[in-house]
Amino acid sequence: MNLWNLLRHITMKHFRLRKAQIFMAAAGICLGVTSIVSFGVVNKSILFSFEDSFNRVTGKAKLQITAAQSGFPESLLEKVQEIRGVEYAVPVIETDGMLVSGKERSIMILGVDVLVDTKIREYSLSGDSVDVPDPLLFLAKSDSILVTKTMADREGFIIDQKIQVQTVEGIKTLCIRGILNPEGPAKAMGGNLAIMDIYAAQMAFGKNGRIDRIDVSPRQGENLETVRQAILNVLPNGYMVDTPAGRTRQVEDMISRFQNDLNLVSYLAIFAGMYLIYNAVSISVVNRRREIGILRALGCLRRNIMLLFLGETLVISIIASSIGVGLGLLLANYLVGTFGKVISETYMRTSVSGIHITWLYPILGFASGIIASLMAALFPARASSLISPVSAIRSVPYTEESFFTARRLNLGGVFCLVLSGAIFAMYNFISDSHLTNMILLPIAQLMIAIGISLFIPAFLKWFVTIFNRFFSSMFGSAGRIAGLNLRKNLTRNAVAVSAVFFGIAVFVASAGYTHSVKESVLKWLDSMIIGDIVISSGHPGSSANAHSIPMPVDLSQQLKKVPGVLSVEPWRRVFLQYKGRRVLVSAASLARYSKYSSADTKQVVKNNKIRLLPDKDNVVVSEPFAAIFKVKKGDQITLPTPAGPVVFSVAGIVVDYTSDSGVIAMDINTYQRHWGDMLCNSFFLLVKPGAKVNDVRDEIQRQFGSDRKLYVLSALEFKNEIRKIMDDIFIFNYALNVITLTIACLGIIVALLASVLERTREIGTLRAIGMLRRQIYGVVVLESILMGLAGGILGSLAGMFAGWVNLEGFFIPNYGSAARYYLPFSAILWALFLSAGLSALAGMIPAQKAAKTNIVEALSYD
Amino acid sequence: MIQVLNVSKTYHHGQQEIYALNDISLKIEKSDFLSIMGPSGSGKSTLLNLIGGLDQPSNGQIFIDGQPIHGISDDQLTLIRRKRVGFIFQFFNLLPILNAVENVSLPLLLDGVPFSRIREKAIHLLESVGLGSRTEHRPEQLSGGEMQRVAIARALITDPAVILADEPTGNLDSHISEEILGLLKNLNQTGQTIVLVTHDSKAASFGKRIIRLKDGSITEDISLSESRA
Ligand SMILES: Nc1ncnc2c1ncn2[C@@H]1O[C@H](COP(=O)(O)OP(=O)(O)O)[C@@H](O)[C@H]1O
Ligand SMILES: [Mg+2]
Repeated sequence: MNLWNLLRHITMKHFRLRKAQIFMAAAGICLGVTSIVSFGVVNKSILFSFEDSFNRVTGKAKLQITAAQSGFPESLLEKVQEIRGVEYAVPVIETDGMLVSGKERSIMILGVDVLVDTKIREYSLSGDSVDVPDPLLFLAKSDSILVTKTMADREGFIIDQKIQVQTVEGIKTLCIRGILNPEGPAKAMGGNLAIMDIYAAQMAFGKNGRIDRIDVSPRQGENLETVRQAILNVLPNGYMVDTPAGRTRQVEDMISRFQNDLNLVSYLAIFAGMYLIYNAVSISVVNRRREIGILRALGCLRRNIMLLFLGETLVISIIASSIGVGLGLLLANYLVGTFGKVISETYMRTSVSGIHITWLYPILGFASGIIASLMAALFPARASSLISPVSAIRSVPYTEESFFTARRLNLGGVFCLVLSGAIFAMYNFISDSHLTNMILLPIAQLMIAIGISLFIPAFLKWFVTIFNRFFSSMFGSAGRIAGLNLRKNLTRNAVAVSAVFFGIAVFVASAGYTHSVKESVLKWLDSMIIGDIVISSGHPGSSANAHSIPMPVDLSQQLKKVPGVLSVEPWRRVFLQYKGRRVLVSAASLARYSKYSSADTKQVVKNNKIRLLPDKDNVVVSEPFAAIFKVKKGDQITLPTPAGPVVFSVAGIVVDYTSDSGVIAMDINTYQRHWGDMLCNSFFLLVKPGAKVNDVRDEIQRQFGSDRKLYVLSALEFKNEIRKIMDDIFIFNYALNVITLTIACLGIIVALLASVLERTREIGTLRAIGMLRRQIYGVVVLESILMGLAGGILGSLAGMFAGWVNLEGFFIPNYGSAARYYLPFSAILWALFLSAGLSALAGMIPAQKAAKTNIVEALSYD
Repeated sequence: MIQVLNVSKTYHHGQQEIYALNDISLKIEKSDFLSIMGPSGSGKSTLLNLIGGLDQPSNGQIFIDGQPIHGISDDQLTLIRRKRVGFIFQFFNLLPILNAVENVSLPLLLDGVPFSRIREKAIHLLESVGLGSRTEHRPEQLSGGEMQRVAIARALITDPAVILADEPTGNLDSHISEEILGLLKNLNQTGQTIVLVTHDSKAASFGKRIIRLKDGSITEDISLSESRA
């Protein structure tokens, strides 16, 4: 009850007086909650859309049998059908096609056995189609296709219309024999789906005699797991038998890098928000020292003082978190499209139609916001309760001996840095455990930040000394007084500096991490000599994604005949399941044409020339693959092929960023021998000396362009396309930078605003002894800039250090890629510029107020 | 009713020990008006703070109505300050964010009494110190003398056993000071126990008894009650 009185009569008045500060402290937490909620909801929505699509496409089937993207022999179907417990097992071709007209939209093509498929999936045909006796039967004609109502409406398709679709065999003209109502499978993939007869689909997509999937519905009353085991028993190794939920989990696994990045953003945002709260409460405690003293003298219990500050924080955090939840949901709604697109382009086709709200993330975000705020407020709130009333209510307080002497601070700083060094050294030995990395490394990073922050008073002292000696005279008397003031109030100023410090450190760390990963990939890309011309039939950037429509390898024979072409190299990229994860097989004529690869790969290939010959079963793997599956050079790995498992030796480990989850590179001949797949995703061409690249490119387009949709790009154009895609992939990291920068800015403003407001009395004294308004203004702004700059410099330093640890600790153990650390120069410049500039701004308003200070009022009590 | 027995208070300045109070014993009767005099730094405030439970003695014992206030927990001490002691300070120590009535009500608000039930009494007290027309003013809108009146009203709201005033006129001019001291004297005449710290002998003469402090020890203890009565 008496706490209630305090909150009602004191807190509410403070809130009214300190709107700006409270707003900014709350904004930090609000931002954290927003990111937890929005990223969580977006993530869930994307996974939900996958699961929904899986469920719809699977229909009544409870299990799906899949293998590599290249498909598997039809003959397996009978084996599965014979299993007791299996009621229906139907073959499916699931592949990508592209509408050649209109926006060249990529669609999913489902090839099904029209006679049995209705046992599994229910197709409902729209009114226009019903006069046809049995439209499904029409599918037996090889040019028949069913499209969804959604697609028909969008593209303006009608029954019996002929449409052009890009297939493996080139552009094919198909006839729309029916339009599917938006129900069941027709609603999957946001309606971007068409259905063909399985035989026609096999022909059109180069899968003669092969299928992509078998959908199985078990007999009534059969145990799903028993049936699953029975199926696994009749299949060779490397096949997956999964429920739609299981497939969703695989997707979750696949996009885990995204999730990790998102989580990192959220944690950082919350952490930074905590720092803002910590700072705001600390400042508030310092400012209200006298008030606390009076309350204590009048009989307010210690714990009530503490509860007062916690209560204030609680009120702020409830409001901030509620707003954060609301903003998070709004943001999720806005982001889900973009994120869905990125996932779709980089990992696997999906079409997210909207957000799918579960209560988990709003509640999690709300609770995190409140708990984080209270935790952040705990330390300063406790400090507030220890303020002695006697000292606080005197006009000039006695200096209470601080535990934190300069010597102890420096020792503590050294200790933290040594500790982080030790953790870092240690982690090289226990790098086996993923979990240890995830826990130890954040601690190491935090230790770096805290360690360096403990040096802030010492650094500030040194910084100010330098300023006084060399620069202060440049600013006249304002410069000298600013210098003296800074020195005089080292401890208090150190608090403001540390706010700037943490904000800038987090910003520079995250910018450095992003910059390094991107720069490494770009360097790698640049070092790749991919020939003069790249030809693909899907989107040119589809190096590892879903929207690639392969071409027959034979096309290379025709391409070679084009005048000016020196050589043609096919490249096949196909995903397969290895130990439960999706990995990329990248097949080209490694041994002969190592020049088509990065400098590093070339070296590895050269060193292992003999072993990588087309007739040897050897592969090279990418660093992420080696890291994830703990594979060393010389190890053997067993890969599933349509004909059963085959053992390959690892001839080397290379840098390859094509896929997060790992790349296995082998000679294309080796690939074709084992997988019997005569397709490829792109051709790399070299042009004869003297021939013009652009002429050759145009000639190819002229000769082949009418048969199939081809993307013929010069090497430079191709690399630029990849860069564009990378920008999409890095969207989260940019979001991270924006968030950390925003928080850094808030921190700077909160701290400096408070530090100036606190000094009304001191400024009154300066005015009384004859300082001009203009000079006061100058002093305050200059002090702000100096503090901002000190924090900015030290923060950049800590940020570079922490960013390096982040890369070595987070990126490399998780993804295994040999990304090098690149200093984020532009980010550091920004950091310094912003820390000085924003500090100046933050100082200006209070400086104005200070300049106008009424001397008499300022010098009187309080 | 207040008993101070062999009380010492030491402060540490680095290695150096400062005796702010050195083995002081003192007894203050109910309805007394005690003035404590002495030069600056002689330990007056320290003594007053010990009596009021703002601080704990390094040695010795202090009792209010026989109840010890040394060696008790901080919470117990705080409750004694809240319920039994009224403070008046040289620098007023009003909360700038609260207006006059709210400042006066503060001790009872701390006790958990709803403002609606305190308001009337607070206004009544403000009227009794001559501030009936200033109830909604905030400290910055009041003069020094007015602020000290608010502080007196605040000290009275809990009907404390003793009022402790630490140089309450130190910041006021002599004419206003007399008014404030007159207020205290009137209070004392209704039976209120008062301890007044001052370095001004004119102010001290408002009391019934004067003790002098020097370097933390009592050097003089005179009773004025007969001569003034
Ligand atoms: N919190 C404190 N810390 C250190 N020294 C103190 C403290 N409070 C009082 N003193 C010292 O104790 C002595 C007595 O102080 P005080 O009681 O305030 O004197 P007075 O009120 O008579 O002017 C002084 O020397 C003063 O410096
Ligand atoms: Mg004093």
